[in-house]
Amino acid sequence: MNGLDMLLWGIFPYIVLTIFIGGHIYRYQNDQFGWTTKSSEFLEKKRLRIGSMLFHGGIFLVLGGHIIGLIVPVQFYNAIGISKDAYHVIAIMFGLPAGIAAFIGLGLLCYRRISVKRIKATTSFGDWLTLVLLMFVIVSGLIATSLNVNAHGFDYRTTIAPWLRGLFYFNVQPELMATVPIWFKIHIYTTFALYVAWPFTRLVHAFSFPVRYLRRNYVIYKKRIKEHA
Amino acid sequence: MKKRPSPLWQRLNYLKPKETYSNNHSQLQEGNRDWENVYRRRWQHDKVIRSTHGVNCTGSCSWNIYVKDGIVTWEGQQLDYPTTGPDMPEFEPRGCPRGASFSWYIYSPLRVKYPYVRKKLLNMWREALATHESPLEAWQSIVEDKEKAKTYKQARGKGGLVRAEWDEVTKLVSASVLYTTLKYGPDRNVGFSPIPAMSMISHAAGSRFMSLIGGPMLSFYDWYADLPPASPQIWGDQTDVPESSDWFNAGYIMTWGSNVPLTRTPDAHFLAEARYKGTKVVSVSPDYAESTKFSDDWMSVKQGTDGAVAMAMGHVILNEFYHKEMTPYFEEYAKTYTDFPFSVRLKEENGQYVADRFLHAEDLGIESEHNDFKPAMYNKHIDGFSIPQGTMGSRWDEQGKWNLKLVDENTNEPIEPCLSFLGSEDEVVTVNMPYFDAQEKKVLGRVVPAKKIEIDGKTEYVATVYDLMLANYGIDRGIGGEVASSYDDIAPFSPAWQEQISGVDRALVIKIAREFAQNAIDTNGRSMIIMGAGINHWFNSDTIYRAVVNLVLMVGAQGVNGGGWAHYVGQEKLRPAEGWSTIATAKDWGGPPKLQNGTSFFYFATDQWRFEETPVSDLVAANVDKARYDHHGDYNVLAARLGWLPSYPTFNKNGIDIYKEALASGKETTEEIGSYVAEQLKDKKLQFAIEDPDDSVNFPRNLFVWRANLISSSGKGHEYFLKHLLGTTNGLLNDDSDSIRPEEINWKEEAPEGKLDLLINLDFRMAGTALYSDVILPAATWYEKHDLSSTDMHPFVHPFNPAIASPWESKSDWDIFKELAKGVSNLAEEIDLAPVKEVVATPLQHDTPAEMAQPYGEIKDWSKGECEPIPGKTMPQIHVVERNYKQIYTKMTSLGPNIAKNPYGGKGISWNMEEEFEKVKRTIGTVDNGSIADGLPDITSAGDACEAILMLSSTTNGKVAVKAWEALEKKTNLELKDLAAEREEEQFTFESITAQPQTVITSPAFSGSEKGGRRYSPFTTNVERMIPFRTITGRQSFFVDHEMMKEFGESMAVFKPILNHKPFRENRPEVEGKEITLNYLTPHNKWSIHSMYFDAQPMLTLFRGGPTIWLNKDDAADADIEDNDWIECFNRNGVVVARAVVSHRIPRTMAFMHHAQDRHIHVPGTKLTKNRGGTHNSPTRIHVKPTHMIGGYAQLSYGFNYYGPTGNQRDLNVVIRKMKEVDWLED
Repeated sequence: MNGLDMLLWGIFPYIVLTIFIGGHIYRYQNDQFGWTTKSSEFLEKKRLRIGSMLFHGGIFLVLGGHIIGLIVPVQFYNAIGISKDAYHVIAIMFGLPAGIAAFIGLGLLCYRRISVKRIKATTSFGDWLTLVLLMFVIVSGLIATSLNVNAHGFDYRTTIAPWLRGLFYFNVQPELMATVPIWFKIHIYTTFALYVAWPFTRLVHAFSFPVRYLRRNYVIYKKRIKEHA
Repeated sequence: MKKRPSPLWQRLNYLKPKETYSNNHSQLQEGNRDWENVYRRRWQHDKVIRSTHGVNCTGSCSWNIYVKDGIVTWEGQQLDYPTTGPDMPEFEPRGCPRGASFSWYIYSPLRVKYPYVRKKLLNMWREALATHESPLEAWQSIVEDKEKAKTYKQARGKGGLVRAEWDEVTKLVSASVLYTTLKYGPDRNVGFSPIPAMSMISHAAGSRFMSLIGGPMLSFYDWYADLPPASPQIWGDQTDVPESSDWFNAGYIMTWGSNVPLTRTPDAHFLAEARYKGTKVVSVSPDYAESTKFSDDWMSVKQGTDGAVAMAMGHVILNEFYHKEMTPYFEEYAKTYTDFPFSVRLKEENGQYVADRFLHAEDLGIESEHNDFKPAMYNKHIDGFSIPQGTMGSRWDEQGKWNLKLVDENTNEPIEPCLSFLGSEDEVVTVNMPYFDAQEKKVLGRVVPAKKIEIDGKTEYVATVYDLMLANYGIDRGIGGEVASSYDDIAPFSPAWQEQISGVDRALVIKIAREFAQNAIDTNGRSMIIMGAGINHWFNSDTIYRAVVNLVLMVGAQGVNGGGWAHYVGQEKLRPAEGWSTIATAKDWGGPPKLQNGTSFFYFATDQWRFEETPVSDLVAANVDKARYDHHGDYNVLAARLGWLPSYPTFNKNGIDIYKEALASGKETTEEIGSYVAEQLKDKKLQFAIEDPDDSVNFPRNLFVWRANLISSSGKGHEYFLKHLLGTTNGLLNDDSDSIRPEEINWKEEAPEGKLDLLINLDFRMAGTALYSDVILPAATWYEKHDLSSTDMHPFVHPFNPAIASPWESKSDWDIFKELAKGVSNLAEEIDLAPVKEVVATPLQHDTPAEMAQPYGEIKDWSKGECEPIPGKTMPQIHVVERNYKQIYTKMTSLGPNIAKNPYGGKGISWNMEEEFEKVKRTIGTVDNGSIADGLPDITSAGDACEAILMLSSTTNGKVAVKAWEALEKKTNLELKDLAAEREEEQFTFESITAQPQTVITSPAFSGSEKGGRRYSPFTTNVERMIPFRTITGRQSFFVDHEMMKEFGESMAVFKPILNHKPFRENRPEVEGKEITLNYLTPHNKWSIHSMYFDAQPMLTLFRGGPTIWLNKDDAADADIEDNDWIECFNRNGVVVARAVVSHRIPRTMAFMHHAQDRHIHVPGTKLTKNRGGTHNSPTRIHVKPTHMIGGYAQLSYGFNYYGPTGNQRDLNVVIRKMKEVDWLED
């Protein structure tokens, strides 16, 4: 383990995590009206519907895949008897198409943003940044996965996953990342960039999914809270 | 202070168990209400001020302007107008969506933010200034160098504008002004700005500047063709009309060619309210106009034939309510307030008779002053002729007999006027009366009862105006002659006759005529006609207007609340008249001002006179063999020569040089110099500039345009402007090779291009005029300055107040002209220009004794040896004026001593203002800087100028009003001052009108009364208080007796068809596919001009966002045009490109292109000109009518914006076709 590894995989992740969490808190506290998806459906509908569905659908599946692969320990799969090969086949079978769907969706959204005059005119720097970062993340993820298609390949479940989990219970193990292929590293770092940008862009809407709305009562009475406790 | 709760912390509330009710149907949510603040803040603001809009809008609505964080954010209607009184609807709400969107413009990309000069010119100027000692020489080196001049003139309208510094532009303009003054004459610097009432200080700013430097101001009312010449002809007054609330007092309203909800949006509610009250509304309009929605009956008249409908209505009214059974109310009214009882001499021409002129005291051998301006009426009491009081002669003989009492001015005995000689006639005489229609013109042998009378030993016939009118209208009185024997007889001017011309059902016309008259009987005259541009923009509109106005006179509706004419076209009533005109014409310092009628100026300056194709002989009465001239322009030369119309530039020599030469030949006094000028003219050593408008010494050189969009909006004959006045690329589709040649004007084979040296535009819009200007100065908007606004739609004077300081480098018009005045003064100091004296010619003015200069309306042309040239009598008045250019700025910013020294007033009455002048000094402060203005009121700030105007005007200062009434009492020998006495102590201040609108004080400046909260209606003081009308008879005129009126067959109302100019004579562009020829009309736009502009985004979003032309669906189908197709619309004058709006609303044969659709918005190219497709004015040009040029005679004498040829443009046809290809010229 050298100093660089420590910096990249031991210290930096915490900086990113701090910005990510702190940024969200800051934004939520200070910019209630900016907390939005910034929907442009008003300006263009057709392409948005296809692009947005593909992207969001794909990205949700990919997110699920990442949870299955990174958060659930390999021991669990071993315990229930899913072999390494079987795991990879399943992961790639579902993961790659989902990734490609997200990629196509995002591509369409980018194209739409460039080609529709009114949308282009209303696009902020933050919006461009979001698109570019997402594109980097997805492309690097796809490349990393594609280069790791063969069943004898690299197993992130024994390297990246424990490293990642370790970060959350302060068991910093940068040495686990030493042998990880470069494209996975790139992928992780592009996501870091995304996390840093996240709280300050429209991506915050990810945390505002109106879950409670689904089981809300029909009639709502509002009561003003006491502002002096 | 309360601490703001943390949003995140509040989120945690969601974790609390939900409190639910009603079987989980309801739930309770807790939270703070911070989210509401955003909505609360939406309407919070830091400042509200009262202002209004000054954009060619008659509304003069009072608005709240809201400012937030230093930005004007929105405006809202003011709701504090004084009440209209019990049983009346209130004025509010006033304000339309156009005005409500104005704040957009302040920060729009169209705003002019800095001074601009075209780069080519600026570079030349900088270079010239560096290489010449004097700025004047520098300027000379550019404009007198043909190549250089051409370089920058040809670049006009093609961009290339660069920012310049204020100092630099001021110097450039000043150099051009002074160079022109010294080289060509002060009257070659010209100013144009319309409708002062809409922002009177801004108008006065430039007008004062022009007057001080000796430059003429151009009139706008006639140039816009909004001026109804019929108004001076009938009343000797220009456009005095009821305020909008008076519509509510009407029992019967006809909207005739006026689209009230569209053009009078803020007041249209009174029309709706009048209907709720039970007023019947009739719409006369070719198309289903918005105003037609209000109507109970709709007369869909063929465009331009309204005169026929009016003549037929007059026929019915005269027949049923006068001839068959005399209506007492009408008879009494006619005898007292109209010229019906006056006697007219019949003249024998080749054994036949024509109506000639009024019988005057002189004819009767009565010796008295001005007995050639004292028409007579037949008095039943003495069975002979009497001269009633109130005639024009009595107005000026100062005997105190100028009133409408039916008393013989010589015997002081009462007169019983005889309306008709029928039954007591000496003889029944056939009088030839002219007739015109689209197919022919002829003479009708009408018959009138006449009396014989001995004049100069000869037996002459006289008839009453009443008898002549009945004959003229074709009433069958059982004495023979050519008459309409029944309503179904197709003979002039029967209802059946009009039906075949106008297409309106004869039964409907009869019905409306009867209702109109019966309503007047039942209500004592509350029958009203709201009339407008639809019948006012034609060549022969004055005949339509005479026919229509006659209806309200016949039924005694004029001078009655709720009755009479209501002409609302481009006019505005400038309430504080005397104070404003003093400042605007700088007569506090000297004078006289040069007030030029706009139409004549532009007609010659843009060389439209070179393109006349209809000989005047085609237009004159059938009993006239040949017109005096065949070229319309020749009449204008005659008018200039005889002092009828002003004519600036006046002579083909600098007025300063004429003075020097006169001095050199030993002439000193003004009289001597006047005779000298007359001699020179007679000997042809001196010429009127108008006799050779294409000679470079006669060109206008500098044109200042402010508060106006001349190039593209009001510039009729747009392509002529571009070619001849500006000398740049144009789309003119004909030449002058086969046009009529004039007799009185020198014809140069090669017409000049680019007459103007500088077009200087003050505006906040980068619109048509600015784009073609050489110098653009950034002006303040309506929310950035102090100013005043008034209108005839309501009786208030509204203030403009600055909501924000003028942003960027813009300044108010007042400040810009101060800047220019300073520039001129500084330059005069720099070149040490000594004071100069100038010979100035002015026309024979209405409301002065000069209106009696040319008796009997006889034309005597001194240039033909018919009389001697005598200044002020047979030719223009000649004055000598001293100008010290070093003092222009000092005079501009202070009120001169003449206010107190000279008689002060207007409309032919005057009084002393010493007291008020002293008070002005104490109120606004005086100048103290060692200049000639020391101790005089300081009007450096526009706010102080406003204050001074309010203090010096009879409508806004009770004491002045009482003085004015006293002056009129002296003249009329009537008791009048009670009209203002109860408000004598009132003094409007700028503060007080900013606090709340106030109803103006009744003053003789206008003819109606506001006394006791009464609603304003014109001529009510004439009718109720017996003040004479300012006409030759002192009464309202049915008969106008000038020689030229006879030549054109218009002594009385008559029908005249529209001219129907063909689109092309020859050399028309090749026919491509199907096309259609339509009458081209340019009425008002709904979403532009009035208080907002077409190019504003809020307006563009309301209707198709670009230029459009409306046409009928069948006409469109004939030319294979579908809705929204791009079309070309062209004739010999030019081409305009727009999209078609195909609608059944528009009747066949006409096309509407709503005017002022800015060319810089969305206009593609056309192959016809290889340029972008023109403006709405491209296919137009003006047609001047000689009868409008009459002057030097009674009520037809000249007044600024009072009388003069109109710039009418409706009698035109265009070819319309679908564009094969839409080329945006983007490469």
